[in-house]
Amino acid sequence: MAEQKKVHFIIERQDSPDSAPYTEEFLLDYRPAMNVVSSLMEIQKNPVNKAGKKVSPVVWECNCLEKVCGACMMVINGKARQACAALIDQLEQPIRLAPARTFPVIRDLMIDRSVMFENLKKVQAWVAVDGSWEVKPADRQNPYTATEAYEISRCMTCGCCMEACPNVGPQSDFIGPAAIGQAHLFNLHPTGQYDKHKRVGALMQKGGSSSCGNSQNCVQACPKQIKLTTYIAQMNRDINKQALKNIFSK
Amino acid sequence: MSNNTECVHTDFYVRRLHSLLGIVPIGFFLLEHVITISQVLGGGHAFDAAVAKLAAIPHDILITLEIVFIAIPLLIHGIYGMYIAMQAKLNPGRYGYMRNKQFTLQRITAWYLVPFLLWHVGYLRFIVKGSEGISFAQMSSYLDNPIVFALYVIGLVAAIFHFTNGLFTFSITWGISKGPRVQSVVNKMAWGLFVILAAVGVASMFAFIG
Repeated sequence: MAEQKKVHFIIERQDSPDSAPYTEEFLLDYRPAMNVVSSLMEIQKNPVNKAGKKVSPVVWECNCLEKVCGACMMVINGKARQACAALIDQLEQPIRLAPARTFPVIRDLMIDRSVMFENLKKVQAWVAVDGSWEVKPADRQNPYTATEAYEISRCMTCGCCMEACPNVGPQSDFIGPAAIGQAHLFNLHPTGQYDKHKRVGALMQKGGSSSCGNSQNCVQACPKQIKLTTYIAQMNRDINKQALKNIFSK
Repeated sequence: MSNNTECVHTDFYVRRLHSLLGIVPIGFFLLEHVITISQVLGGGHAFDAAVAKLAAIPHDILITLEIVFIAIPLLIHGIYGMYIAMQAKLNPGRYGYMRNKQFTLQRITAWYLVPFLLWHVGYLRFIVKGSEGISFAQMSSYLDNPIVFALYVIGLVAAIFHFTNGLFTFSITWGISKGPRVQSVVNKMAWGLFVILAAVGVASMFAFIG
């Protein structure tokens, strides 16, 4: 029988938010159709490193396993992507896993993405329907607008665009591409458009759309093919219009 | 955030000002600069004639133009630009896309141009122009030093790249080019302009040292 094929992992680990990172190597038995999440599950079952020493299992997050929830985003061979959709057969070995350090690391590959939720709150990424009035069925949406909105609505807040962006991180206050796209999504909504000035106003503030440096990594990194650079340019347009209004109408 | 429409949005206006100053007047001045030095391609006399033409502008007007349209915009653009550049963690090694390389080069050229322009303006504008004056003979002997020549060629090409790539990013920052097709067209046009200006500029540099 042929020798068992192995899969070689080099994983950047970290025991706690403040401790120093270190790397640990693992050798797994190859099986057809493996992906990074199934490999991490194997390590969880049998946490023995390359040197044969039993170690604590590698911590990571995952949920849907079909590239919809965004939870398993990590840096795989240098690029931010979903671990569940990273097929071992398509990866160059040794496979290097690292946490997305644009975000605070909690442990190993697990990160704290709460800043993305805070950003959605900043740009009011929702449709306000509550009030003291009767709630009626929503206005019809132009089907062409709906197509554009559907594309942006697939954003799963995974943070690939945030990790790939050179202007997002502890060194900068840039809100990042995801929230700008979402602001545009709710500006397209027949009811959401009433609050457009609030979203545009939020993105006109320090760290808003003007902190984009046009590296355009986001549109390359987005696993959902959302045309983030197009919506950033649209937001720049909307902000310019808002600025003219602010100057001449107030 | 509830009162965000009431804010003054200083950061937004300063960033747009930084973006605009890079094109008008700094970019236009760079174009004028390349055209002036390119006169040397017609010979040393042609260059001296171009310098004389600029020198014919009355002194008080020239000083005012230099301060209002060159010195102040350059200082604002340079100082605020350093603040912007410091907010980037460059990652072209991990994300080797063309636009990301352009983003990286935009910042590298900026960091080169800050000391280069201090040296270039300080020496040629203040020291040389204030004493012996700029001429073909003086420039030829100055650029004869291979280190000075190399640093000047790098500085010229860096400034041209920073300007032409800035035209591309300007079109996005101001919401002029929105979709991928138009952005790609504008980027190609910017690269075309870079090649033309860099070719003329570098050829002129070589013409100085004969």
